Amino acid sequence: MTESAPALADNLHPMVRLSGIVKRYPGVLANNNANLTVAMGEVHALLGENGAGKSTLMQVLYGACQQDAGDIEFAGRIVRFNSQRDAIRAGIGMIHQDFMLVRPFTVAENVMLGLYQGGAGVLDVNTVVTRIRLLSERHGLEVDPLARIDQLPLGVQQRVEILKLLYRDARLLILDEPTAVLTPQETLALLASLRSLVADGRSVIIVTHKLHEIMAVADRITIMRNGHTLATVDKAATSEAELARLMVGRDVLLKVDRPEQVSGRRLLSVKALQVDDERGQPCVRNVSLDVHAGEIVGIAGVDGNGQSPLVEALMGLRRVQAGRVVFDDNDVTNKTLAARAARGMMYVPADRRRMGSLDELSIEDNAILGSQQQFTHAHSPWLDRKAIRAHAEALITRYTIRTPDSHFHAGKLSGGNLQKLILGRELMRNPRLLIVEQPTRGLDVGAIEFVWAELLAARSSGMAILIVSTELEEILNLADRIIVMFDGRVMGELAGSAATNEQLGLLMAGLQSQE
Amino acid sequence: MRLQFERRLTAESSWWVSSVITTGAVLFAFLICAVLFLPYTSSPFSAYGALFAESFGSLRGFGLTLNRAAPLILVALGTCIAWRAGFPYLGFEGSLAMGATVCAWLALAVTVTESSAFTALFLLAALPLSFAAGGVWAGAVGVVHSRFGGNVVLISLMTNYVATFIVQYLVAGPMRAPGSQPETPRLPELTWLPNLIPETRTHAGICIAVIAALLCWCLLSRLRIGYELVVTGLNPVAAGYGGINVGQRQLLAACLAGGLGALAGVVELLGSQHRMLDGLSGGVGFIGIVVALLARLHPLAVVPTAFLYAALAVGADALQRRTGAPSSIIHILQSLIVLTVLAAEVLRHWQIRLKPSPTAGGSLHAG
Amino acid sequence: MLDDFVVSSFIVTWLAAAVRLAGPLLLMALGEIFAERSGVLNIGIEGTMLLGALTAYLVTHASGSPWTGLGAALLVGAVVNLWLAWMYVTAGANQVVVGIVFNILALGAASYAYRTAMGAATNPESITMFQNVHFPVLSDLPVVGPILFSHTILLYLTLIMTLVAEWVLFRTHFGLGLRAAGEHPKAAENAGIAVQRMRYAGVLLSGLGAAAAGSYLVLSQIGLFRDTIVAGQGFIALAIVIFGRWRPMWAVFAALAFGAADALQLSLQLFQFEVPPQLLLALPYVLTIIAVSGLIGRAAQPAALMQPYRPG
Repeated sequence: MTESAPALADNLHPMVRLSGIVKRYPGVLANNNANLTVAMGEVHALLGENGAGKSTLMQVLYGACQQDAGDIEFAGRIVRFNSQRDAIRAGIGMIHQDFMLVRPFTVAENVMLGLYQGGAGVLDVNTVVTRIRLLSERHGLEVDPLARIDQLPLGVQQRVEILKLLYRDARLLILDEPTAVLTPQETLALLASLRSLVADGRSVIIVTHKLHEIMAVADRITIMRNGHTLATVDKAATSEAELARLMVGRDVLLKVDRPEQVSGRRLLSVKALQVDDERGQPCVRNVSLDVHAGEIVGIAGVDGNGQSPLVEALMGLRRVQAGRVVFDDNDVTNKTLAARAARGMMYVPADRRRMGSLDELSIEDNAILGSQQQFTHAHSPWLDRKAIRAHAEALITRYTIRTPDSHFHAGKLSGGNLQKLILGRELMRNPRLLIVEQPTRGLDVGAIEFVWAELLAARSSGMAILIVSTELEEILNLADRIIVMFDGRVMGELAGSAATNEQLGLLMAGLQSQE
Repeated sequence: MRLQFERRLTAESSWWVSSVITTGAVLFAFLICAVLFLPYTSSPFSAYGALFAESFGSLRGFGLTLNRAAPLILVALGTCIAWRAGFPYLGFEGSLAMGATVCAWLALAVTVTESSAFTALFLLAALPLSFAAGGVWAGAVGVVHSRFGGNVVLISLMTNYVATFIVQYLVAGPMRAPGSQPETPRLPELTWLPNLIPETRTHAGICIAVIAALLCWCLLSRLRIGYELVVTGLNPVAAGYGGINVGQRQLLAACLAGGLGALAGVVELLGSQHRMLDGLSGGVGFIGIVVALLARLHPLAVVPTAFLYAALAVGADALQRRTGAPSSIIHILQSLIVLTVLAAEVLRHWQIRLKPSPTAGGSLHAG
Repeated sequence: MLDDFVVSSFIVTWLAAAVRLAGPLLLMALGEIFAERSGVLNIGIEGTMLLGALTAYLVTHASGSPWTGLGAALLVGAVVNLWLAWMYVTAGANQVVVGIVFNILALGAASYAYRTAMGAATNPESITMFQNVHFPVLSDLPVVGPILFSHTILLYLTLIMTLVAEWVLFRTHFGLGLRAAGEHPKAAENAGIAVQRMRYAGVLLSGLGAAAAGSYLVLSQIGLFRDTIVAGQGFIALAIVIFGRWRPMWAVFAALAFGAADALQLSLQLFQFEVPPQLLLALPYVLTIIAVSGLIGRAAQPAALMQPYRPG
């Protein structure tokens, strides 16, 4: 594989050329000499793991931040975008994962927003509606221009985002993980629309880590790893296996030693659980599962398939519509989180900064969150500050949290140290069942290994552990049993030792159910 | 080279930067108000001198300052507790009026016996009763908030007016003293707060206020409940995750805040006015909030801040008598201090840097 | 026994007063709708109204022309609210804190300025006021005439402003951008709207509305100035915005309802009914509490209300 783009690029006019892009953030080199050439009329996929630098590179291209070094060439001219508005004006549009749509507005109002042409500025709804209809017919983006956004499904909202860009005649469309929120049918329709757009002479960059979509829609693929662009390949000349190898960059994954499992009695039993989301739509449908003492059960799945609501319902933070949660033969379905904790159910949430800790309080104050009842002088309402300090210091030592002292604000800790603090805090409460959501999201390798080792040690001590993770590597390394969720349902259950990437991938895509 | 303003990623938080900025802001506010003295005195700075000489220079003036500070401290403490629990209560005018009304009713209803223990016994009954009345008054806002999720700011503001009209009705009707003014009869002298310093009008209200400040400090930094209140205010999601019942804690904070507001009313009633009337508070319910904000919601910092504000008010009253400068200048000063401090907060987010100008060949990619 | 004549004259007096009292409230609510739609809760309208009333009084007193007074009040309202907008939007300070503290500042400033300008004289001088407009035919109609067609020019201007506000908010690019800034500032910024500028505009408009409402009070209803003339009307306007679901047209009805409750109290006193007046005075505030308590209108609240926004 060569660093330069293959011959295809030479035959076509480049729409955009990024060369030698460097972008630093405090303590991180997000882009290190990244190069990307996108031709006119192609769908170009940007592939890489979380944290490979894809988002940063796109933000530079889209004017959301400015590169520290390197050049952007767009439509044959060197350009420098100081804001997103500059990029839009030049003809670059981006569709973010969370849509930039004003929910109480109609489709037409969202499209018109910001299109003031001077004069009295009277809204001309009819013209806009007519043009939207034209554009949507031409590219298969069916949508009612007068419908309100908050009444449209996510797939249609995404079409509105694309229409917004087309209405502004964007030449280059960047889509960030466009299929994350789509149903399989919506995904197919989207990919067809993208082909129609490039047939029009526009270019599309899709940022993704889903290999099968890339093979379905992209002309060329650029792979990023550790902040730089590794290679650009033709779709015709590659395979999913090769892409996977390039993306991950190692055939031998991070591997941990897993001691023999000694499974004990059933501690958690979930029966036919039904949970609704904020809008009253079911988001966990008929989920049943068991977790035993001394085992790790992993819940795998693409983000947003009901894992978080499930966990919140298990911990009593979200209302259960139907079904039961039984812990150690006690029905805890309608018990509070505190009551569950008193029985030994503990929880490490995915959002460490907004839920798991308090930015503005010290490590000491964070170390007692949830067990503040235990840190009082015997039978009194007074906090025992001495015991709290001792506890915090024990936590810092035991879990090697790097901090000047125990008064340090939790908000100033690095992600890895904060996760050690939260995980350690929960482990020191001696849980019988520990639920961990995204145990290592955004952590560096050292911290990942630490967290994994702690979880396996806890398992050996007879703790029941339920892990929710979107990282397959993590699930495969840790879980004794793997449950795959898709669209709020359990798609299937696999033994950890027998599971393969392919099997899991199919289940996570909702393409194959075990039954 | 050129000067350049740059936005920091995080606010500068070292103590000396904050204190320099705060001091500067306060001085700036004093400077602006100095201009307002000009039509009335030739030298505004000697006006400030006279102002502080009035409130600190004599025992009598100092006593008046203490009397003014006491209700301010109590309202500010209520603000500390409610706001730090994430309950932005603004109904202190109302809870103050309700507390004073209940206390006046009790004082007029009891049979006075000429014994030395009477005053103590009366206070032992009146303080908890009024505290409870204010607690229920503010607690109602808490219940409405946790039940229906209404906006605390707007609801609590409206309750002030409802309380005002209740007081107006009572002092003009059922509780009215014979005479022309809509006010209650003078309360029996034995129900008054005892005098603290002979020869002055200093009453024991300041003791109640300082004790309350110590208790509030203990609550917020030494008690488990206080920890839970603070966590609730900082981040309700994390509080829920920590097993804390957010609604209950905010309701508790609301009740305590209302109770403290009511005590401010009691102090004002039994210490200074000695009869219930409309407009008893004189705006303390809002100035107290300002004091708490300036003290950054810290219960102990509230005490000196309230002293400063009380001294300004006492001095301004005297100045009005002597030079005719309207005492409302002090409302301007008191609110301007907070606004300039808030505006100066912006400075903590900016830094000034000496940078080579781009034309001088400086690299854009400086590391 | 009340005969028919007394009853009908009571109702006419009452409704005419209701319309009269609703005027300034509506005007102030119109401005506040723009501020809140852009994402800023401007509690400072209470203080702005007082400053507007003071300016209108002083300038009219000096110049003899109520129009000059109104213009000066608008100017003061604009300047003061530009500063407030800086605090809310650029400095990103807590909107409630700034609003509340500003109201105290305005109270102090108004009372200082009044005393300094007029001296400590106890006899306030009344000023030239706007006269009631006389519509041919219409004003002479029974019942409808006194209720709707016997007010000053300011009421009719306010009604025209309502139509203008509704049109601007829902039919122009400016209105669309302003509403987007209050619903989803990030999306608005992405679409090329200058969110900060929209919020400045919203606060500025609310300041103009409040200052105009203050002049309205002085120039067409009272003719005098006292520090107590506003007495919470700014907060009532906040309630009207909520009752009116952040729409100018609906705010008309909300303002009338509040005006009617206030007027009922005056009329009942006039006709010597034995009802404690405080009960009726408290009624609008109790209604407001019910309105704000989330029983009505929560869903319509701009999603980014009270949330500071920093671009980039």
